[in-house]
Amino acid sequence: MNQDVLVWCLVVVAVIAVAAVAVLSIRNRAVEAKKQHSETVLTARLNEAEGRLSNVSAELQRRQAEQQVTIRAAEEAAEESTKAVLKGAARFLQSLAAEQMVLLEDVQRKYGGHPVLADLMEVNHANAQMARRAHGIAVMCGAPLGRRTRAASVYDVVRNAQGQIRNFRRVQIMQQSGFALKASAVSPVAHAVAEILDNAASFSQQDAPIEVTFQRVQKNLCIVIDDAGVGMNDEDRQHASALLSGSVQPRLSELGTQPKFGFPVVGRIAAQYGFRVDVTGVSRYGGVRAVVLLPEELWTEEEITAPVAEAPRMSAVRDTDDETPDRPRGGDRTVSGLPKRGGRQRRDVAAPVRDAAEPPARPAAVDRGSGRSLGAFQRGTLSGRNLDPSPSEGSEDS
Amino acid sequence: MTDEQEPEPEAELELTAPLVPLFVVTGGRGLPPSHEYERTTLVSAKQDAAADARTLSPEAREVMNLVADGFLSVAEVAGHTHLPLGVVRILLAELADGDLVLARKPVPPAEQADKELLSAVLDGLKTRFGA
Repeated sequence: MNQDVLVWCLVVVAVIAVAAVAVLSIRNRAVEAKKQHSETVLTARLNEAEGRLSNVSAELQRRQAEQQVTIRAAEEAAEESTKAVLKGAARFLQSLAAEQMVLLEDVQRKYGGHPVLADLMEVNHANAQMARRAHGIAVMCGAPLGRRTRAASVYDVVRNAQGQIRNFRRVQIMQQSGFALKASAVSPVAHAVAEILDNAASFSQQDAPIEVTFQRVQKNLCIVIDDAGVGMNDEDRQHASALLSGSVQPRLSELGTQPKFGFPVVGRIAAQYGFRVDVTGVSRYGGVRAVVLLPEELWTEEEITAPVAEAPRMSAVRDTDDETPDRPRGGDRTVSGLPKRGGRQRRDVAAPVRDAAEPPARPAAVDRGSGRSLGAFQRGTLSGRNLDPSPSEGSEDS
Repeated sequence: MTDEQEPEPEAELELTAPLVPLFVVTGGRGLPPSHEYERTTLVSAKQDAAADARTLSPEAREVMNLVADGFLSVAEVAGHTHLPLGVVRILLAELADGDLVLARKPVPPAEQADKELLSAVLDGLKTRFGA
């Protein structure tokens, strides 16, 4: 009896348990299905959102790229238009400065005997510095330098460069070379050297010398410029080298409010005319050694201007090359030992140096030596009587 | 590389002024006092000056060559070198500072020949020979 009850109880419990399990599993399955459904829905939504996101970001990138292009184009357009304006102005200044230099030269020769000459030379110095600035701006704007049509000794080219900086007295050209620059190289090399000299002068003490020497290294002619300044650190040196090689070409807007035209201009000129400038050396004063390396296309060895003879063998050159007819020892002299005046043949030899525009009437006049001397004598006495300061000896065809 | 290759064939600026400006020739020195190196002052190189002349600028050396063998007036030096008188005076003063040239004062006006007498002689000659 008890056993039956027990059995029935167990049966009931088992039935209940089975029922409970059945109910639970059914519910479980329903929950599972629901979960799967919601998961698929969510995944779909997620995918959709992701797709939209990538679309949007692609769009954003495209827009950004477009914007970059537009900005660059606008910047370039601004740079170009600034350059165009500046270029016009700089060219104007260039030609004015050149014109003024010619005028000043004429005035200096006209008033050569007057005390005002010293002031005129000061004015000319200021003008030469202004001309350098104008040329620098022009080069930065893509305009050409003014050009020269005559070859010149490298010594004179450096002297021209010297005249373009403020403290030109500090520049010492240590030797006179037997090298000449071809006409096309005269102006660019002079400008490049002027910028380097200016740089050397501004980064060294007021009275420190700047020495210029010439050296021939294989096929290159080197103009070596040593300053006694503070030198450059590695960073400066790298930056300078990049500018001078032309690999970095800063924009006008990057030059700052106190624009540093020097090295960018030198870099451009050097690249344009095919020479190199190196400032990585150290001078013997511990400052910067700048070297302008001129390839053989730009220079020749022949002597262009008669008076610029090579220093160490000066006397030999004088006697042979120059053929100075009025200087033979003891030959062409008066009884009292004074040099004879003669027909100025010597000027005919040396004249091409400075006076290009001289009337070509000379050669015919040479033979009329005595007539010319008389004329000169008359002019001399006349000017001696008047003694007015205006027409100087250097002005007319003296 | 040459000028012909410039992208814009605009009228190129040609620099016609002398390459070496006069103030570089004089080294920026001022004029000597007006009574020194007048037009008629005679200058000559010193005897032993040739050795020191090597380091001179071409212009100064040209002056040295002109006065190397005797006295020449400042005005004549200016004429021969084609340099303005003032520039020559500065160069001469510089050379004198370097002890390279000697200057001899011009003959004072009082000792000069009487101009009136000379012109009278000239007139006489003209009437005599019918110039």
